[in-house]
Amino acid sequence: MKPALKGKQKNRLAAISMIVLFTVLALLILLPIYAIFLASFKPGGQLVQYGLNLDLDFSQMSFDNYILLFAGRHEYWTWFFNSIILTVITVILTLIVSSFVGYGFAAYDFKGRNALFICVLIVLSIPLEVVMLPLYKQISNWGLMDNYMAIVLPFMAHASTIFFFRQYLLGIPKELMEAGRIDGSTEYGIFFRLIIPIMKPAFAAMAILNGMTAWNNYLWPLLVIRSADKYTLTLGLNTLINPYGDNYNLLIVGCFFSIVPIFILFICFQKYFIEGMTAGAVKG
Amino acid sequence: MKKKVLAVLLSVTMTAAMLAGCGSKTASNETGADASKETAEESSGGTGTAGTTEMEVEGDDVTTLNVWTFIELHQQFYTDMAEKWNAENPDKKVKLVLSNMQYDDMHNKLSLALESGEGAPDIVDIELGKFPAFITGTIGLRDLSDVIAPYKDNVVQSRLDIYSKDGKVYGLPTHVGATVAFYNTEQLEAADVNYEDIKTWDDFKEAGVKYYEATGKYFAAVETSAQWMVNLMLAQKGGDYIDESGNLAVNSDAMVDVLTYIKEMQDTGAFATVPGGQPDNDEAYGVYNSGDYAVQIMPFWQTSRFVNYMTDLDGKVAIAPTPVWDTTDGEYASIGGGGTGTAIVASGPNADLAAEVMAYIKLSETANEQVWNVLGFDPVNTSVWSDTALTENPDNQYVKFFKNPPFDALNQIKDNIGSLGALNDERWPSINNEFCNVTLNNIYENGMDVKEALDESQANLENEFQ
Amino acid sequence: MKKFFYSQKIAPYVFILPFAVTFLLFWIGPIANGALLSFQDVLKDQWVGFKNYQRLLTDKIFLKAVWNSLKYMFGTLVLLIPFPMLFASLLNSKLMKKPGFFKSIYFLPALTSVVVAGTIFRLMFGELESSLANRVISLFGLAPVKWLKGAGTGYFALLVLACWRWTGVNILYFLAGLQSIPKELYESAAIDGAGKWKLFTKISFPLVKPTTVYVLTISIYAGLSMFLESYMLWRGNNSPNNIGLTIVGYLYRQGIEKRAMGYACAVGLVLLAVVMIINLIQLKVTGTFDKEAK
Repeated sequence: MKPALKGKQKNRLAAISMIVLFTVLALLILLPIYAIFLASFKPGGQLVQYGLNLDLDFSQMSFDNYILLFAGRHEYWTWFFNSIILTVITVILTLIVSSFVGYGFAAYDFKGRNALFICVLIVLSIPLEVVMLPLYKQISNWGLMDNYMAIVLPFMAHASTIFFFRQYLLGIPKELMEAGRIDGSTEYGIFFRLIIPIMKPAFAAMAILNGMTAWNNYLWPLLVIRSADKYTLTLGLNTLINPYGDNYNLLIVGCFFSIVPIFILFICFQKYFIEGMTAGAVKG
Repeated sequence: MKKKVLAVLLSVTMTAAMLAGCGSKTASNETGADASKETAEESSGGTGTAGTTEMEVEGDDVTTLNVWTFIELHQQFYTDMAEKWNAENPDKKVKLVLSNMQYDDMHNKLSLALESGEGAPDIVDIELGKFPAFITGTIGLRDLSDVIAPYKDNVVQSRLDIYSKDGKVYGLPTHVGATVAFYNTEQLEAADVNYEDIKTWDDFKEAGVKYYEATGKYFAAVETSAQWMVNLMLAQKGGDYIDESGNLAVNSDAMVDVLTYIKEMQDTGAFATVPGGQPDNDEAYGVYNSGDYAVQIMPFWQTSRFVNYMTDLDGKVAIAPTPVWDTTDGEYASIGGGGTGTAIVASGPNADLAAEVMAYIKLSETANEQVWNVLGFDPVNTSVWSDTALTENPDNQYVKFFKNPPFDALNQIKDNIGSLGALNDERWPSINNEFCNVTLNNIYENGMDVKEALDESQANLENEFQ
Repeated sequence: MKKFFYSQKIAPYVFILPFAVTFLLFWIGPIANGALLSFQDVLKDQWVGFKNYQRLLTDKIFLKAVWNSLKYMFGTLVLLIPFPMLFASLLNSKLMKKPGFFKSIYFLPALTSVVVAGTIFRLMFGELESSLANRVISLFGLAPVKWLKGAGTGYFALLVLACWRWTGVNILYFLAGLQSIPKELYESAAIDGAGKWKLFTKISFPLVKPTTVYVLTISIYAGLSMFLESYMLWRGNNSPNNIGLTIVGYLYRQGIEKRAMGYACAVGLVLLAVVMIINLIQLKVTGTFDKEAK
């Protein structure tokens, strides 16, 4: 009896210390977000003068920045909706194209498969920045400058997403495909009618990861987008970081607000996200 | 079941987002247009606007001109002036569409656009420090000599020279940017320092030490991310970054003297580095505003930063000519600092009209009056400087802010404003970069020996230019 | 024709086609093009042979950028692999209540863009006495620090930013790996009397290795190609004494800011080589190659 009790106590102690550890970690992680949340109620001038900190001085705080955000004259909402459109288009196209390719790698045995798959792995480990300048020249020659196509097209068949879908689909039984063929489906019909429905957790995981990347994308859009009315949120926010203009009011509240949509997306899908990540987890 | 729910959820949110996105796209465009209407109509108090501003112009025969700028204050100024142009030239009406961008991004985009011959604006504000890069190799900018001609007699020539190459002028200046001294008189008086007695850099040093010992506060800033004071002192000594035969010489004796003077001041405690590395920086405005530093040696346009960002100093700041090394040798009393050259992209379909309009917007007499009235700068047309109706207009916000009439100092130094030859050399952007990031930091933040730091930078730059 | 398209033999190639096209058009093409450009002076439209590469070897600023990138990569590997792995295995333990809650909080920073995160951290690491970072160290009786002006403190700020953004993501990667390990393995080992530490070192660690290799690969990639973090923290591509300059930053400076496209392409190819070499060594050491070859 006694040792068992001891074991239980020990477990409880372990559980409590773990909770403490993770709570501290959570607080540390939330600290910058809390700081900017507070700052979104402070006048921008104060922020410049005193830096970002956790001071609470209610006499200085107001909803003015939020009023500016929602009712002021600025381009924030244009950027915001540009970002939403671009993110949604990117995610949908990337998921469809990459799952299509991933299925090809997972379901068939064909000549050149391994060589091609190694190409996927190579692309996976090449930073975009290596090809950025020549790609820029190429895009410019094709007349795709200042066009969202230039942001979406090169990354639809996205190496790490293909890799993930392939891992995920390696586990599907071949019988499923055979059954589809017997039912008279074409090879593509099998993919669209039988395979896609079972890939939902994987789609959720990749929707979040690709959505994040697209929503936060900066460097490549910076190069290819020219017109201010096509700016995405990240490009737009960066125009506010300007020593020649007093834009901190909008910048801070805009920064804080830019986290909201992607956070909602994450909260909605996070359960499937973990599930999908686990199912597609890297298995050697 | 769970998966079905997810599928529905996923598709619903995506369609919703898509619809919302598309719907609001049009909606936001409309509000965007409305907003800019407001901006164009409302002619004062332009904080918080960013992105694009579009003028509203009546009539059918209107030419649209795209303008890129990185200075928000210019947007207002340009639209006001363009309206005046339209009123005077009903047959050549223009509509300006202004995009405000981040400083680095705008210049980078411009160089990419000029190179690819695609996506460039009609008109662009190019900062002085970046200008030489755009007049090297194949020049994509229009020669403006013809449109400047009508105004030329009244314009300070040295401000055209900095945007010129091989006798062609590629940029329209906004201001002279004469370097002057801004003294916080309230604080200096408390330490019994009279700024009017400061004539030489030795006086300056003495006053600084006295002030520091009396108050424990800093007298002036050591610049680490700009060279307003350094350039002035260097020019006054007759030095430059490039020697007479065109060789790079950043480690010249004159430069060593200047930086050593500042180093010695730092050692006394009277000078100190400032957050942001120079007075014209949003982090620095705060410390000046709270009186941590008493003096700024800055180009005249700093007036606008005082009025907009250092509001607590209202009524306390006096403007005076800067000290000199020696009052008897006729050295420069000031140099022009900073600046933005407005350039016209040569390949633009309306380049000629754009050039004509911008020359009017920036060089005409009305324009120069507005440069002072609205922006608070020292206009390039010096006839405005002696028009006391303007320069001492009691309703002018800049006149109100400063303790003495701002143009008094300018008129004293008027005939002795110099320049550095290096400023329009193609090597200048790199030299400037090296100084702002490496040299000055090495000396004033990391305590490196002046000569050693300069030799190192000389070597770095030589390596780059080889 | 239609029959050909639908045949089981051709179908796999149709499936792979989007990738093959992307690979040729957007990777091989630009890399080849970049290689050609790296032997040219693009502004003067001249072939210059190996001059760009020779210049790289003696370019102190480039070498500094390479060193900064390697240092940053090394720092992120040390901080962003062991700790997330440990946290993930703790979160995965039966004793942990509400792991989902913590997981979402830890993931939150990854959702903020670098533009936003960099701005927040720049302001937090301001040199003013009242900035957050200086407030924190003043609790320990330390004097205010000019964080973004010194090499050591600037590096520290970059690493804090990296840890803040990526700890949560890596925890999730490791959790996913851990959850695919069959529970029975732990149960039977526990029956054999293995302690918690032993379970971790003998079961979790080896079985989660593919995930580790994956995380290692993407961390090397991300570390070496870091740019935006520094660009936002220093509000542009210039930092005092170039303490924040990375390889990509230098590529950007040369190619975009100074319009030396050929020289910048040489920088890009060097980056490619460095990434490839480090990854090959890594895959060799971790033995992943042997498995792929099978």
